[in-house]
Amino acid sequence: MINRRRLLQSGAIAGASLLLPGLAGRAFSASEAITVGIPVPISGPFAANGKFASLGGILAAEEASREFGRQVKTLDLDTEGKPATAVRKVQDAFDNNGIKLYAGGILSSESLAMGKEALRRNGVFITTAGADEITGTDCNAATFRWSVPTYGAIEQTVRPLVDMLPDAKRWYTITPQYVFGDGLLNVAKDIFKEKGIEHVGNSYHSLTEKEFSGYLTNAIAARPDVLLILNFGSQSSDTLRQAVSFGLKNRMTILVAWASGLEQFEALGPDICEGVYFGAQYWHGVDTPGNQALVKSVRERFDLTPNYSLAGSYILTKLLVDAAVKAGSIDGDKVAAELRGKTYEGLTGEETIRAQDNQVIKDYYLLKGKAKKDMADKDDFAEIVSQGKSFLSPEDAGCKMG
Amino acid sequence: MKTINNPIFHFFLAALTVVCLPLFLRSGVLASEILIFGLAVAACNLLLGFTGLLSFGQGIFFGVGSYVAGILLTRYQIPVPLMLLLSVVLGALIAVAVGWLSIRRQGVYFVMLTLAFSQFFFFLAYSFSGLTGGDNGILDVPRPVIAGFDFTNLWSYYWFVAVIFLAVFALMLRTTQSTFGRTLSAIRENEARASAVGFPVRAFKIAAFAISGAVTALAGALHAMLIGVAPLSSIEYHTSEIILIMTIIGGSGNLFASLLGAGTYMLLADVLSTIWPRWLLLLGVALIVVALFMQRGLWGLIETLVSHITATSKRTPNAATERPLHRQADGGKA
Repeated sequence: MINRRRLLQSGAIAGASLLLPGLAGRAFSASEAITVGIPVPISGPFAANGKFASLGGILAAEEASREFGRQVKTLDLDTEGKPATAVRKVQDAFDNNGIKLYAGGILSSESLAMGKEALRRNGVFITTAGADEITGTDCNAATFRWSVPTYGAIEQTVRPLVDMLPDAKRWYTITPQYVFGDGLLNVAKDIFKEKGIEHVGNSYHSLTEKEFSGYLTNAIAARPDVLLILNFGSQSSDTLRQAVSFGLKNRMTILVAWASGLEQFEALGPDICEGVYFGAQYWHGVDTPGNQALVKSVRERFDLTPNYSLAGSYILTKLLVDAAVKAGSIDGDKVAAELRGKTYEGLTGEETIRAQDNQVIKDYYLLKGKAKKDMADKDDFAEIVSQGKSFLSPEDAGCKMG
Repeated sequence: MKTINNPIFHFFLAALTVVCLPLFLRSGVLASEILIFGLAVAACNLLLGFTGLLSFGQGIFFGVGSYVAGILLTRYQIPVPLMLLLSVVLGALIAVAVGWLSIRRQGVYFVMLTLAFSQFFFFLAYSFSGLTGGDNGILDVPRPVIAGFDFTNLWSYYWFVAVIFLAVFALMLRTTQSTFGRTLSAIRENEARASAVGFPVRAFKIAAFAISGAVTALAGALHAMLIGVAPLSSIEYHTSEIILIMTIIGGSGNLFASLLGAGTYMLLADVLSTIWPRWLLLLGVALIVVALFMQRGLWGLIETLVSHITATSKRTPNAATERPLHRQADGGKA
């Protein structure tokens, strides 16, 4: 912060800022370091996710350093889970560190804002955040998204479960009342209609809700065959925990459509998760060469099993660095051009970055919680029941890249 | 002690800070944020330090300013000066409404009412997502280009903010030194007596709310242009909390202390968050220390230090007369 104090700023800053684009615009030499900014919440309520995301970035950078024989490093930018702080950190990293590649943004609001900043300054931003708008109505040429949007999450969880449980004709939903929740709910309703499922009720709750017993009582009164939980993070954990303590697991099938992955299983424990269905963007048990290599590396390097935050950040960082090396530049437009349309062997198998909306086309998973006695190791909480790719077309998602 | 509590000296310190920030900080965003929150904290100080009103509603006005900037600049392309004026007016109007209802109760009930309003406005913003962008906020809020002057660059925008900051700071200093400001202090010290003397206490409190709301909304609008987004978090209760914490850390009852509080908080947060993920714990400790041992905040600490230094250096009988002056200067609360 206090490095360059002395003279400058007032006048010199203007000159320096004029000079910077010229410096950053050139192709880098083979010995030049590549730095990837990791803007994630390292403090605040989402700090745990940020910590793992940081490790994922570090691992990808270390591997890239070895593979390409050049220094690749990451710089953690603590967004504190706030869009304002996230944008400030990214602006500073552009100006003070010359960073143009960013992999992170766990929360949708901060990711949307950072994506816009990347576009303004000819950078690239790639994220695992959930909001459909990222590769939908607010898509832009500089923003890429690895995670599956709401449409695919419901298509790959509700539809297979409907097929698996042909007698389960009555479904009840619990939904957070905002754009993300409504996105999930609307897709689920379409499937209900198509499959002749009776949607026996829905409870909306606010984004700050912590107590779900009232909604669960309503669900019990509606006597559904399946309870579909459409909230996420700590809210879905709280809903599920309270549902199990109310005895709902014995009365109906429970599906948490947007689970956080291993972190959530660890927080809930096998007693709660047993027999419950979960939708997940990533699972460490996925049997692909890319994932097996990652699990091995993470266990050797950090002595832990990769969760979604770590794996997501790993693949985002890897994609950016690979593209920058291939482009021979860290300029946003050049790196983005390398990323667009790319097909590669990813963590979930073959993944493709769709050129029209910068959305990665990858699998989404339906998991089923295992009983404690069936767990092969401390992280073997669930089995993969089904997996697949479901995406709206860029036009239907509302993306107009321009 | 007289010197450091002189309003002209406070303005000099504020101007010095404005000039020095670019010399010491690499981040134009951080420097601008310090001034913007300095304004919001000064507005909070007008209520807390000068009028004795502990308001948890400052985030409302900050958020309103932020949304005014977002909506008017992205959807209607209204000129920035007019947008700033409208944000000030709307901030004042909403503050009058909040103040008019809240000041009907005193003490903890007043605090609870401002807290309730804070939640109310948050859920309004959250629910009317067509207007506010809901959880995603309003994106692409542009920085100004006024009369050929381009303020889109971070450091040029800093100077844009700096000019507004100094102008508003001077106006607020003038306000606190006026009869109006003295009356607010009288209300803070003894509301019953002020009322008995014949001051329309309620009208004064509402006026204080209006000024505070106007300045905070202005800060919110400047902030939205700085970061290019009007986020939902601007109108959250947490924003009120941060503004209040900055006010307490800096010290209430003194406008330069507000800038000191905002600067200290933002710089500490910026440094500590990169060192230790649990830095908010340290903030909690800092607040406990301030509450227990530094109830007049950092400015109070400076006053004490200056007082000691002056007394030591003079070593004359006159030094003993400093205490009454000091007591007088900060409202007899020393």
